[in-house]
Formats: sequence, C-alpha cells, structure tokens
Amino acid sequence: MARRSAVDRGDDSVVGREGRVTGTVGPGLVGEVILPIRGGSEAFNAYPYVGTDTFPIGTLVRVMEYAQPRIVYVSAAL
Amino acid sequence: MPMLVLAAIAAGLLLLLVLVFKMIWRVAEPNEALIISGLGAHGETPADMPGDTGRGFKIVVGRGTAVIPGFQTVRRFYLGLRTTTLTVKAPSNQSIPLTVKGVVVFKVADDKASIANAARRFLEQNEETLVSTIHELFAGHLRAIVGGMTVEGMLHDRESLTANIRTSLADDLGKLGLIVDSLQIQEIDDEVGYINNLGKPQAAAIEAAARIAAAQRDQEATQAEQIADARKAEAVRQSQIEQAGYQAEVDTAKAQAAQAGPLTEAQARQEVVKAETAAAELDAQRAEKVLDTEIRKPADAEAYRQITLADAERQAKIARARAEAEETTLRGEAEAKATAATGEAEAKAIQARGLAEAAGIKARAEALAENQDAVIAQTIAENYPDIVKAGASALGNIDNLVVLNGADGMEDMLGKALTMGGAGLGLAQSLMSSIRAGAVEDGARTDGTRPGAEPARETVG
Repeated sequence: MARRSAVDRGDDSVVGREGRVTGTVGPGLVGEVILPIRGGSEAFNAYPYVGTDTFPIGTLVRVMEYAQPRIVYVSAAL
Repeated sequence: MPMLVLAAIAAGLLLLLVLVFKMIWRVAEPNEALIISGLGAHGETPADMPGDTGRGFKIVVGRGTAVIPGFQTVRRFYLGLRTTTLTVKAPSNQSIPLTVKGVVVFKVADDKASIANAARRFLEQNEETLVSTIHELFAGHLRAIVGGMTVEGMLHDRESLTANIRTSLADDLGKLGLIVDSLQIQEIDDEVGYINNLGKPQAAAIEAAARIAAAQRDQEATQAEQIADARKAEAVRQSQIEQAGYQAEVDTAKAQAAQAGPLTEAQARQEVVKAETAAAELDAQRAEKVLDTEIRKPADAEAYRQITLADAERQAKIARARAEAEETTLRGEAEAKATAATGEAEAKAIQARGLAEAAGIKARAEALAENQDAVIAQTIAENYPDIVKAGASALGNIDNLVVLNGADGMEDMLGKALTMGGAGLGLAQSLMSSIRAGAVEDGARTDGTRPGAEPARETVG
C-alpha cells in the first residue's frame, strides 16, 4: 500500500509530451492529438497554444498546457 | 495430541488470516477502477493531481488495495469499451429527410478526472441505464450534426464529419468523463431517393460509355463478320464461275458430240437436196427449152409476120395518103385560082356598082339639096311598085275571100288595102328623113317590108 502506481504518482502528466495530430488543430476548430501516456496512447482534444497556429493531420506537436478533463494546448514540436 | 491441536489451531489461524486478507484486499483489473470511499479514502494529494481540490474518494486502477470492511465501501467501475448503435431520423441541411444509422464506440477516459466525473454520474447505475443515457445524448448530437451537413458531405467528407462530431461532443463528453474512440455512420437512407439520384448521372454516364463501347465493339465485329462474309461470297462466286466455265466446256463438248450424228445426217441430206435441186434445174431448163422451141419461136415467127404485114400496110397507107394530099393540094390550088379570079371579077363589079351608086347618091344629094320634094317623089315613085306589092301582099295571103257587099265591098276592101299600103308612106317619110340627114344609106336597101303592112286577115266564116 505504501508504493503507489504510476497513475497514482501522477506520471500521467501530458505536458511536455509529443504526439501526432489526428484532427486538424487550428483556430475555431476542435483538434485531436494522440499522446503516449500510461503505457498506452490516448486521444486528447487539442487547441493551438498560439492562437493563430494551424496543425494539419500528421503533424508532430508538443503539449504546452493541459486542462481538465482532456484538453491540451499544443505547439509545433521542435 | 497437543501437537495436532496446535497444528489445527495454526491452520485455523492461517485460514482466518487468508479469509481476512481476502475480505480487505481488493484488486482492480486493467479495465476497471475501484472507487473507494469512506474512512481515510480522501484521494490523492494536490501534488499527485495538479488542480485537484480533493474529490472525497479514492480511485484505484490496475492494482490492489486494502479496503477496511465496515469503514470503507468499494465499488468497481467498468472502464472498458461500450458500444451503442444509433438510428436517427433528421433532415440534412438541404432539408432532405434522412435516416442515419451509426455506431458509437466509447469508454470512460483513463485519467482520474474523467473517472471521477463518470463515477459521480454513473456509479450506481446499471449498464443499460448508462448506455441508454449515452445513446440519447449521442442521438441528439448526431441529429444536430446531420442537420448541419449536406448528404454529399456526410458521404464523402470524412474529415469534416469527424471534426463536426468532435466539435459537437467535446464539451459534453468532457463533462461526462467519456471519450469516443470511434463514431461511424453505417448507413444513410433517404426516402426521396436523393442518394440514388446523386449516383444516377454517373451511373448513366458509365452505362452510356459501356453501351457505346459495346456498340462500337459490336459494330467492329459486325464489320469484320460482314467483310469475312463478303470474302466468302467472293470466293464462292469465283468458284462457281470457274465451275460454270468448266461445265460450259463440258456441255459444249457433249453437245457437239451429241450433234455430230444429226449434223452428219443433215450434211448428207444437204447433199441430197443439192442433187435434187440440180435435177430440178435441169428439168426446168429442159422445160424452158421445150417452151422455147414449141411456143416462143412460132410466136416470134407469127409476130414477125404480122409486123411485116402491118409495116407493108402502113407503107401503102402512107403512099395513098400522100397521093391524096397531092391531089387535094392541086385541086385546092386550082379552086383557089378560080375563086381568086371570081373574087376579082366580083370585086370589080362591086367596085363599079359602088362607084355608080356613089355617083347616083352624089347626084341625088345634089338634087336633094336643090329640090327635096322632087327627089322624094322620085324615090317614092321608084319604090312604088314595091309599096303596092306590100299592100297587095295583105290580100295575097287570103285563101278564100268572100265579098259580101258586092262591088262596093270589093272597092272598099281595096281602098282599105291601099290605105294599109298607104302606111308605106310612113316608111317613105322616115326614109326621106334619113336621106335628108345625109346618111350614105343605099336607097336600094329600102325594101318593101313595111311595119304597118301586116296583112289584116279577115276571116269570115
């Protein structure tokens, strides 16, 4: 009981992770990115971190911010 | 025995321990979460879950945890895949009524916040309730999505469709702690046949192209067949022509062979006919010669005789006519001389008489100029016999004259006759007037015919 799992320890943080765009991210759109997390991959709704950026499908992006429950703000991966 | 008792007690204790452990230890499988609430189950610290203000219960996923019976409650919450099918009747944004069938594959999201949201809403509800609630939610969203898209967009623009679904569902799903792994439109039915009609132009074009291609191939095949047929017919024709030529030669030969007999016969007959013709000609010559001898030569002789006779007769007639002509000429000349002599004599007589009369007339005219009445009287006197004769001629025509009055009657009648003869005086008067007019009339021509001297025939009886 003392040792906590990765989920409980909070290493499910998505900030800083890189993922692939599966639905176009852009202003006025609800985009989608798939991020590696918890030993698998999950889809998150994505918005551009910089309001004018647009990321088409397949672009590699990095998560800059996370908002509950499943929203990430992304910018282009460096 | 104590050993046995001890062993039994130890076994009992061990069993008890296992039972207690079994009672308090719960394990969450990978697709489920343990929702533990109660004594000491206050969830993670804010450090564990940034932004967490304390949810009041503990979530355990994929591991074991001890649950204190009586102080804590634990419920399992299924995190696995759920599926619901949707049938939505809604018009598209072109107001075409559509029946859209879809399938939604969704699950409770794996992060603690989503599990907490879902757990708060669905924990006590059974599976059917959860799915039906979610079904209604998705149906409503799908209806809205269909209403915002065209049929063509739904059919062809997959990216746009998923984007619309995401846009429409994102907030609601976040509130419920769910994620949609997939939403598929399985079937779109329209009652007005719009979709069928959408495809028809292309289908018709394809069909037309297919028919055109088929027709062209058919045409080419037919042309090839016809050309082949024509060539076959040509070959057949050539063959038949040659066959006919050979047959003609055979027939000619056969006919010639067949005609050889009749030809020979005809030639023989021709020779016979020639011979017969020659014989007939000889006969004709013979007959001609017979005729010549028997008829023509006697006829010629007769003709010659008659011609000779006629010629002689003609010569005789000519000689006779000449003699007559000479005789007539001579006689005519003699008569002409006689007539000429007579004419000259008469002419001289007439001339002499005319001269004498002319001298008489001249003398009378001179005498008339000197004494008319004497001349007249002389003239009357000269002609008086005629005058009297004319008056007497009235009596001359009477056959029987009966005088009733005797001598007186006779005298009277003569008087009348003389009176009638006196009518001759009228003639004499006119004669005189003509003489007086100087006419060259011969007084001798004043004959006794007097117009008034018609005999007054008196027939008594």
